[in-house]
Amino acid sequence: MKYSLLEVVIGFLKTALLLIVLEIFSSAILPSFGIDEFKPAFNVLIVLFLAFKLDAPFLPFLILAFQYIHSTFSIEGWASGTFAGILIAVSVRYVRDMLNFSTAISTIIVVQVFQLAWFFLVSSILSIKLGDFSNFINIFLQYIPESIFLSLISFHFFKLLDFFWKVNKRSHGVSL
Amino acid sequence: MRNLNFDSSRWKLLNNIMVGIFSLYGIAIQNYNVDETSYFQKLMIEMLTPIQQGTTSIKEKVFYTFDHYVNIVNTSKENVVLKDSVVKLKNKIFTLEEVQRENERLKSLLEFGREIPRKKVLAQVVSWDSSNEFKVLRINKGSLHGLTEMSPVITMTGLVGYVYRLSDNYADILTILDQNNRVDSIVVRTRTHGIVEGISGFTCQLKYVSRTETLELGDEIITAGLGEIYPKGIKIGKISKIDKENFGITQKIEITPSVDFHKLEEVVVLIEDQVVAKSIDMKDKK
Repeated sequence: MKYSLLEVVIGFLKTALLLIVLEIFSSAILPSFGIDEFKPAFNVLIVLFLAFKLDAPFLPFLILAFQYIHSTFSIEGWASGTFAGILIAVSVRYVRDMLNFSTAISTIIVVQVFQLAWFFLVSSILSIKLGDFSNFINIFLQYIPESIFLSLISFHFFKLLDFFWKVNKRSHGVSL
Repeated sequence: MRNLNFDSSRWKLLNNIMVGIFSLYGIAIQNYNVDETSYFQKLMIEMLTPIQQGTTSIKEKVFYTFDHYVNIVNTSKENVVLKDSVVKLKNKIFTLEEVQRENERLKSLLEFGREIPRKKVLAQVVSWDSSNEFKVLRINKGSLHGLTEMSPVITMTGLVGYVYRLSDNYADILTILDQNNRVDSIVVRTRTHGIVEGISGFTCQLKYVSRTETLELGDEIITAGLGEIYPKGIKIGKISKIDKENFGITQKIEITPSVDFHKLEEVVVLIEDQVVAKSIDMKDKK
């Protein structure tokens, strides 16, 4: 797979801009309308897209960069998300042949499964750091509706990111 | 254009290992109690928070448009002029009433806690943390206004949290709802000590209270003043649920915070006098 530096920079800037707009949506617009217990983690969706569809050597640096942008809007920081993103990207490489993004329903299921994996990785890291797993279940229950929402929009969201990264032009099947 | 054509699995492996180790290092050094903001993050916060702040006024304008204009499209011209003037007048009255209410709120906020021997900086809530897991809010005052990391944040109804990270004009507040925030506290009626921690959602829990303590629903919890962050005697909340198991040495106690975090608009940051003088000096130099 070949990407020119310019294509990577343009793809990155477009996705970064989208991430910033969506983070503002989650952190300011939703709370201003009184919705303060529902904040979809759009950074997870972007990192999952990269892991699923961008089998490139520079992928870890992209994940790091997007998580760093996310850390501006959340005290979650960049590190745990980057680590989870890299582990997911590596595991996707082994199951790529089984993943199918051609239909909405298959995309929704795959995204939901990997979102749960993401949650368990990141929340375990946080709980280990705090030395306290007592809130794990509560946070998980809160995460479920948000993750279902993200899975439901993932098919169209990925289409937009496909356009940003020109994936369909290059892809032969699932991987690039 | 040079292609980024290092398609070998060695490169992928090397990059994954490098960034993986770097992120593990990041996890190891990350402190969820207080954060030193990097220059790049400060720059990003300073650039992007005004947009977050602006969304509130956009919302008001959207509501205004829907409420006042959409329904009168088909009325006569005269009606439009008359209604327009009525709307303008009503809007003016509404704005004045809003200013009056804001004035009253700010006045009572400033008057609140006179006995606390610290300078008070008034700030407005700009946004919340974008992850639901963390209960952090961003305010429109920063280091240039005298705020320092770990400065306590209150309202007239009680404790909000403390300053977690700072940029020049904005600060992130780790609220008492967050599981990373631990407040040493006392039950007013029984003088029992415990630690208040966020659970998830908009409630907290009081931990490490012995099963033998006879607490009741509605008992008030205040800060104990230990730990050098919060002054003593600030209201935290009331006990809303007590769960005594047949086993264990402590009891499960749920607290409803006295601050209504759903309707939080303004907060007061308490800072040491020396810090204020220093920051004003810095501002003058700038």
